Amino acid sequence: MDPTSLSKASISFGLSLAITSVLNAIIVAVKEKSPTVMDGMKKITGHHWTTHVLLVLALFVGFALVFGALNGGKGKAITAGKLIGTIVSGVVVAGLIIVGFYLFAD
Amino acid sequence: MTEFLLMSHVLFGVACIVAAVWLFVDVLHASAANLPRIRRMSWAAAAVMWLAFVIGGYWYVTYYKADKAIILSEHNKHWHFAHEMVMETKEHLVIMLLLLATYLPIAASNNLAENKDARRLMLWVVALTALLALAMDGEGGIIAMGVKTGLLAK
Repeated sequence: MDPTSLSKASISFGLSLAITSVLNAIIVAVKEKSPTVMDGMKKITGHHWTTHVLLVLALFVGFALVFGALNGGKGKAITAGKLIGTIVSGVVVAGLIIVGFYLFAD
Repeated sequence: MTEFLLMSHVLFGVACIVAAVWLFVDVLHASAANLPRIRRMSWAAAAVMWLAFVIGGYWYVTYYKADKAIILSEHNKHWHFAHEMVMETKEHLVIMLLLLATYLPIAASNNLAENKDARRLMLWVVALTALLALAMDGEGGIIAMGVKTGLLAK
């Protein structure tokens, strides 16, 4: 590996981290607003939060595998600046959605 | 037993903050000499975060119901936000913290000594981890205070 390039794993899991963080926030809003979704999540593991965590972890690994499989298995190509921007934006936006939801929408 | 679980949760959470701050400083001075330590510390940060998460998650799913009832009791109205806002956000923001901490050893697997971009990536992820972990620690304190005021007001 070129010592000045980022590894396939760090790009794949980094992009997945950003996307999964936003999806985590969206799942919060959906389950809190939909009793059907909330009840379904409770039924799967006995507690909605446990199901939520398992779902997010599965998405995190799943998206990373998908990004890693792109470009014929070489993984998604992206500059470090864009990767950092995507991760920071994803985490900050997800945090704002969660806090904003419980402040204003719940 | 429940107190032991809760204090372990806090202990490992604080250990994650300490590890993240340590990492930030070490990555700022990354070289071939401290690279193995940075990688070991990244694994340690992820490990203590997983411990804090699993212990806290078990406690939340199993025992929090009683604390929630105290916080939301009629005579504790001014502290209802400790559950309605603080615990509700904490239980979901902490999932992102778990992902960030899990990502640390992956980001640290790059050659941080020679690669400036990899160092920048690591510094951002470590900073987010430390800040979010600190926020979780503060939220935990507010929730505990909500329980305390609920008990004192009885």
